[in-house]
Amino acid sequence: MADFELRQGDQLPTLVFEITRETIRAFGEASLDMNPLHFDDDYMSNSFGKTSFNGVIAHGMTGFALITRMLTDWLEPRQGIHRRLEARWLRPVKPGDTLRVSASVSRITERSDGYWITFDVAVGNQRDETVAAGEAMAEFPRRF
Amino acid sequence: MVDGFKTWSEIVPGELRLTHSVVLTREAIARFARSIGETNPLYFDEEFARTTRHGAIIAPPSIHIYLIFACTPETDWMRTPGTINAGQVWSYNIPARAGDTIRLEARALDRFIKKDRLFVVHDNTFFNQHGDVICNGRGWTIRPK
Repeated sequence: MADFELRQGDQLPTLVFEITRETIRAFGEASLDMNPLHFDDDYMSNSFGKTSFNGVIAHGMTGFALITRMLTDWLEPRQGIHRRLEARWLRPVKPGDTLRVSASVSRITERSDGYWITFDVAVGNQRDETVAAGEAMAEFPRRF
Repeated sequence: MVDGFKTWSEIVPGELRLTHSVVLTREAIARFARSIGETNPLYFDEEFARTTRHGAIIAPPSIHIYLIFACTPETDWMRTPGTINAGQVWSYNIPARAGDTIRLEARALDRFIKKDRLFVVHDNTFFNQHGDVICNGRGWTIRPK
Protein backbone atom coordinates (compact mmCIF):
# COMPACT_ATOMS: atom_id res chain seq x y z
CA MET A 1 0.00 0.00 0.00
CA ALA A 2 2.75 2.39 0.98
CA ASP A 3 5.75 2.42 3.29
CA PHE A 4 3.71 0.88 6.07
CA GLU A 5 1.42 -2.07 6.71
CA LEU A 6 -2.21 -1.79 7.69
CA ARG A 7 -4.41 -4.71 8.70
CA GLN A 8 -7.98 -5.23 9.75
CA GLY A 9 -8.25 -4.62 13.49
CA ASP A 10 -5.32 -2.19 13.65
CA GLN A 11 -5.91 0.73 16.01
CA LEU A 12 -4.82 4.30 15.31
CA PRO A 13 -3.15 6.20 18.16
CA THR A 14 -5.84 7.33 20.63
CA LEU A 15 -6.42 11.07 20.93
CA VAL A 16 -7.21 12.44 24.41
CA PHE A 17 -8.92 15.82 24.81
CA GLU A 18 -10.17 17.43 28.02
CA ILE A 19 -13.37 19.42 27.80
CA THR A 20 -13.54 22.59 29.89
CA ARG A 21 -15.70 25.71 29.76
CA GLU A 22 -12.72 27.36 28.08
CA THR A 23 -12.46 24.73 25.33
CA ILE A 24 -16.22 24.98 24.79
CA ARG A 25 -15.96 28.77 24.44
CA ALA A 26 -12.98 28.48 22.10
CA PHE A 27 -14.86 26.00 19.92
CA GLY A 28 -17.98 28.20 19.92
CA GLU A 29 -16.00 31.28 18.90
CA ALA A 30 -14.04 29.38 16.24
CA SER A 31 -17.18 27.83 14.76
CA LEU A 32 -19.51 30.83 15.36
CA ASP A 33 -21.88 28.46 17.19
CA MET A 34 -22.97 30.38 20.29
CA ASN A 35 -26.07 28.32 21.04
CA PRO A 36 -27.00 28.75 24.75
CA LEU A 37 -26.86 24.96 25.11
CA HIS A 38 -23.12 25.46 25.44
CA PHE A 39 -22.88 28.62 27.55
CA ASP A 40 -25.96 29.35 29.66
CA ASP A 41 -26.46 27.23 32.80
CA ASP A 42 -29.81 28.90 33.57
CA TYR A 43 -31.09 28.09 30.09
CA MET A 44 -29.85 24.52 30.50
CA SER A 45 -31.81 24.02 33.71
CA ASN A 46 -34.90 23.83 31.45
CA SER A 47 -36.06 20.57 29.96
CA PHE A 48 -35.94 20.09 26.19
CA GLY A 49 -38.99 18.02 25.45
CA LYS A 50 -37.97 14.61 26.73
CA THR A 51 -34.36 15.63 27.23
CA SER A 52 -32.84 17.31 30.29
CA PHE A 53 -29.16 18.16 30.58
CA ASN A 54 -28.76 19.92 33.97
CA GLY A 55 -25.97 22.22 32.83
CA VAL A 56 -24.13 23.29 29.72
CA ILE A 57 -22.92 20.69 27.24
CA ALA A 58 -20.09 20.73 24.71
CA HIS A 59 -20.84 21.13 21.02
CA GLY A 60 -21.56 17.73 19.51
CA MET A 61 -19.39 18.69 16.58
CA THR A 62 -16.37 18.94 18.87
CA GLY A 63 -16.24 15.14 18.86
CA PHE A 64 -16.72 15.11 15.10
CA ALA A 65 -13.81 17.55 14.64
CA LEU A 66 -11.62 15.56 17.03
CA ILE A 67 -12.23 12.38 15.03
CA THR A 68 -11.19 14.15 11.81
CA ARG A 69 -8.16 15.58 13.64
CA MET A 70 -7.07 12.13 14.79
CA LEU A 71 -7.56 10.68 11.30
CA THR A 72 -5.84 13.48 9.37
CA ASP A 73 -2.92 13.67 11.81
CA TRP A 74 -2.31 10.00 11.04
CA LEU A 75 -3.18 10.08 7.33
CA GLU A 76 -1.38 13.25 6.18
CA PRO A 77 2.22 12.04 6.77
CA ARG A 78 1.27 8.78 5.03
CA GLN A 79 -0.26 10.54 2.00
CA GLY A 80 -3.71 9.23 2.84
CA ILE A 81 -6.89 11.25 2.30
CA HIS A 82 -9.75 11.51 4.81
CA ARG A 83 -12.84 10.95 2.63
CA ARG A 84 -15.84 10.45 4.87
CA LEU A 85 -17.08 10.54 8.45
CA GLU A 86 -20.44 9.51 9.81
CA ALA A 87 -21.15 9.88 13.52
CA ARG A 88 -24.09 9.82 15.91
CA TRP A 89 -24.16 11.44 19.34
CA LEU A 90 -25.16 9.03 22.05
CA ARG A 91 -24.56 11.01 25.25
CA PRO A 92 -23.93 14.66 26.11
CA VAL A 93 -20.40 15.83 26.93
CA LYS A 94 -19.94 18.24 29.84
CA PRO A 95 -17.14 20.42 31.21
CA GLY A 96 -14.73 18.20 33.14
CA ASP A 97 -15.12 15.25 30.79
CA THR A 98 -12.02 13.69 29.27
CA LEU A 99 -12.65 12.44 25.74
CA ARG A 100 -10.80 9.51 24.24
CA VAL A 101 -11.08 9.33 20.45
CA SER A 102 -10.35 5.98 18.87
CA ALA A 103 -10.39 4.35 15.45
CA SER A 104 -9.81 0.81 14.28
CA VAL A 105 -9.53 -0.57 10.78
CA SER A 106 -12.69 -2.54 9.97
CA ARG A 107 -12.12 -3.17 6.27
CA ILE A 108 -9.50 -2.64 3.56
CA THR A 109 -10.81 -2.55 -0.01
CA GLU A 110 -8.38 -2.67 -2.92
CA ARG A 111 -9.51 -0.99 -6.13
CA SER A 112 -7.73 -0.21 -9.38
CA ASP A 113 -7.15 3.38 -8.26
CA GLY A 114 -5.96 2.59 -4.76
CA TYR A 115 -6.97 1.38 -1.33
CA TRP A 116 -10.04 2.43 0.62
CA ILE A 117 -9.88 1.96 4.37
CA THR A 118 -12.99 1.82 6.55
CA PHE A 119 -12.61 2.64 10.24
CA ASP A 120 -14.91 2.10 13.19
CA VAL A 121 -14.62 5.31 15.18
CA ALA A 122 -15.75 6.14 18.70
CA VAL A 123 -15.48 8.85 21.31
CA GLY A 124 -15.53 7.72 24.95
CA ASN A 125 -15.42 9.58 28.24
CA GLN A 126 -13.62 8.99 31.56
CA ARG A 127 -16.45 6.68 32.69
CA ASP A 128 -15.86 4.45 29.65
CA GLU A 129 -19.21 5.53 28.23
CA THR A 130 -19.40 5.95 24.47
CA VAL A 131 -20.55 9.49 23.70
CA ALA A 132 -20.29 9.28 19.90
CA ALA A 133 -19.74 6.47 17.43
CA GLY A 134 -19.63 5.99 13.71
CA GLU A 135 -17.63 5.07 10.67
CA ALA A 136 -14.95 6.80 8.65
CA MET A 137 -13.31 6.19 5.29
CA ALA A 138 -9.89 7.08 3.96
CA GLU A 139 -8.27 6.67 0.55
CA PHE A 140 -4.71 5.81 -0.32
CA PRO A 141 -4.50 6.58 -4.06
CA ARG A 142 -2.33 4.18 -6.04
CA ARG A 143 0.92 5.79 -7.14
CA PHE A 144 1.53 5.16 -10.84
CA MET B 1 -41.52 32.30 13.36
CA VAL B 2 -40.16 32.29 16.93
CA ASP B 3 -37.62 35.05 17.68
CA GLY B 4 -37.09 35.40 13.92
CA PHE B 5 -36.27 31.70 13.46
CA LYS B 6 -38.38 29.30 11.41
CA THR B 7 -40.17 26.69 13.49
CA TRP B 8 -40.26 22.99 12.62
CA SER B 9 -43.67 23.52 10.99
CA GLU B 10 -42.33 26.34 8.77
CA ILE B 11 -39.26 24.50 7.47
CA VAL B 12 -39.92 23.28 3.92
CA PRO B 13 -37.88 20.26 2.78
CA GLY B 14 -36.26 21.04 -0.56
CA GLU B 15 -36.37 24.81 -0.13
CA LEU B 16 -32.95 26.44 -0.41
CA ARG B 17 -31.72 28.20 2.72
CA LEU B 18 -30.48 31.78 2.41
CA THR B 19 -26.66 31.73 2.28
CA HIS B 20 -23.80 34.07 1.40
CA SER B 21 -20.21 33.53 0.26
CA VAL B 22 -17.27 34.09 2.58
CA VAL B 23 -13.52 34.28 2.09
CA LEU B 24 -11.82 31.62 4.23
CA THR B 25 -8.96 33.42 5.97
CA ARG B 26 -5.80 31.96 7.50
CA GLU B 27 -6.93 33.40 10.81
CA ALA B 28 -10.25 31.53 10.70
CA ILE B 29 -8.45 28.29 9.83
CA ALA B 30 -5.92 28.76 12.65
CA ARG B 31 -8.61 29.68 15.18
CA PHE B 32 -10.67 26.62 14.31
CA ALA B 33 -7.64 24.29 14.28
CA ARG B 34 -6.46 25.59 17.66
CA SER B 35 -9.92 25.08 19.18
CA ILE B 36 -9.59 21.32 18.67
CA GLY B 37 -6.00 21.22 19.89
CA GLU B 38 -4.54 20.84 16.42
CA THR B 39 -0.80 21.53 16.14
CA ASN B 40 -0.09 20.29 12.60
CA PRO B 41 1.82 23.16 10.90
CA LEU B 42 -0.05 22.35 7.69
CA TYR B 43 -2.84 24.53 9.09
CA PHE B 44 -0.68 27.36 10.44
CA ASP B 45 2.70 27.63 8.70
CA GLU B 46 2.80 28.72 5.05
CA GLU B 47 6.46 27.80 4.67
CA PHE B 48 5.87 24.29 5.96
CA ALA B 49 2.65 23.89 3.96
CA ARG B 50 4.56 24.69 0.75
CA THR B 51 6.68 21.57 1.30
CA THR B 52 3.62 19.30 1.46
CA ARG B 53 1.54 17.77 -1.32
CA HIS B 54 -0.98 20.59 -0.76
CA GLY B 55 1.51 23.36 -1.59
CA ALA B 56 -0.17 25.89 0.71
CA ILE B 57 -2.12 26.18 3.95
CA ILE B 58 -5.32 24.16 3.90
CA ALA B 59 -8.13 23.89 6.43
CA PRO B 60 -8.88 20.77 8.45
CA PRO B 61 -11.72 18.81 6.78
CA SER B 62 -14.05 19.69 9.65
CA ILE B 63 -13.83 23.41 8.77
CA HIS B 64 -17.40 22.96 7.49
CA ILE B 65 -18.46 23.28 11.16
CA TYR B 66 -17.35 26.94 11.00
CA LEU B 67 -18.39 27.52 7.41
CA ILE B 68 -21.98 26.42 7.96
CA PHE B 69 -22.43 29.33 10.36
CA ALA B 70 -20.15 31.72 8.46
CA CYS B 71 -22.19 31.28 5.26
CA THR B 72 -25.66 31.65 6.79
CA PRO B 73 -27.49 34.67 8.25
CA GLU B 74 -28.18 35.19 11.95
CA THR B 75 -31.81 34.17 11.42
CA ASP B 76 -31.01 30.77 9.88
CA TRP B 77 -33.03 28.04 11.59
CA MET B 78 -29.86 26.08 12.33
CA ARG B 79 -29.10 28.79 14.92
CA THR B 80 -32.41 28.47 16.76
CA PRO B 81 -31.49 28.34 20.47
CA GLY B 82 -31.93 24.81 21.75
CA THR B 83 -31.18 23.12 18.41
CA ILE B 84 -29.70 19.70 19.25
CA ASN B 85 -27.34 17.87 16.91
CA ALA B 86 -28.16 14.16 16.71
CA GLY B 87 -25.68 13.05 14.06
CA GLN B 88 -23.93 14.07 10.86
CA VAL B 89 -22.28 12.49 7.83
CA TRP B 90 -19.78 14.34 5.63
CA SER B 91 -17.93 13.42 2.44
CA TYR B 92 -14.70 15.25 1.72
CA ASN B 93 -13.68 15.90 -1.89
CA ILE B 94 -10.91 18.51 -1.88
CA PRO B 95 -9.43 20.64 0.91
CA ALA B 96 -10.59 24.19 1.50
CA ARG B 97 -7.63 26.54 1.16
CA ALA B 98 -6.75 29.81 2.82
CA GLY B 99 -8.05 32.56 0.55
CA ASP B 100 -10.80 30.46 -1.02
CA THR B 101 -14.15 32.12 -1.57
CA ILE B 102 -16.60 29.60 -0.17
CA ARG B 103 -20.19 29.22 -1.32
CA LEU B 104 -22.82 27.07 0.41
CA GLU B 105 -25.89 25.44 -1.05
CA ALA B 106 -28.08 24.23 1.78
CA ARG B 107 -31.60 22.96 2.32
CA ALA B 108 -33.72 20.85 4.58
CA LEU B 109 -34.11 17.36 3.13
CA ASP B 110 -36.69 15.93 5.47
CA ARG B 111 -38.64 16.56 8.66
CA PHE B 112 -40.31 14.01 10.88
CA ILE B 113 -41.41 13.28 14.44
CA LYS B 114 -39.80 10.37 16.27
CA LYS B 115 -40.47 9.53 19.92
CA ASP B 116 -42.15 12.94 20.27
CA ARG B 117 -39.02 14.74 19.08
CA LEU B 118 -39.07 17.13 16.09
CA PHE B 119 -36.37 16.15 13.61
CA VAL B 120 -35.12 18.03 10.56
CA VAL B 121 -32.51 16.58 8.21
CA HIS B 122 -30.34 19.21 6.50
CA ASP B 123 -28.10 18.85 3.45
CA ASN B 124 -25.16 21.13 2.70
CA THR B 125 -22.63 21.41 -0.14
CA PHE B 126 -19.65 23.76 -0.04
CA PHE B 127 -17.99 24.98 -3.24
CA ASN B 128 -14.83 27.00 -3.86
CA GLN B 129 -14.49 29.94 -6.25
CA HIS B 130 -13.86 27.52 -9.14
CA GLY B 131 -17.14 25.72 -8.58
CA ASP B 132 -15.37 22.62 -7.23
CA VAL B 133 -17.15 20.72 -4.47
CA ILE B 134 -15.13 20.88 -1.25
CA CYS B 135 -17.42 18.73 0.83
CA ASN B 136 -21.01 17.67 1.25
CA GLY B 137 -22.78 16.74 4.45
CA ARG B 138 -26.05 15.86 6.04
CA GLY B 139 -27.15 16.36 9.61
CA TRP B 140 -30.00 15.24 11.84
CA THR B 141 -31.15 17.96 14.22
CA ILE B 142 -33.78 17.95 16.96
CA ARG B 143 -35.75 21.19 16.83
CA PRO B 144 -36.77 23.06 19.99
CA LYS B 145 -40.03 24.47 18.47
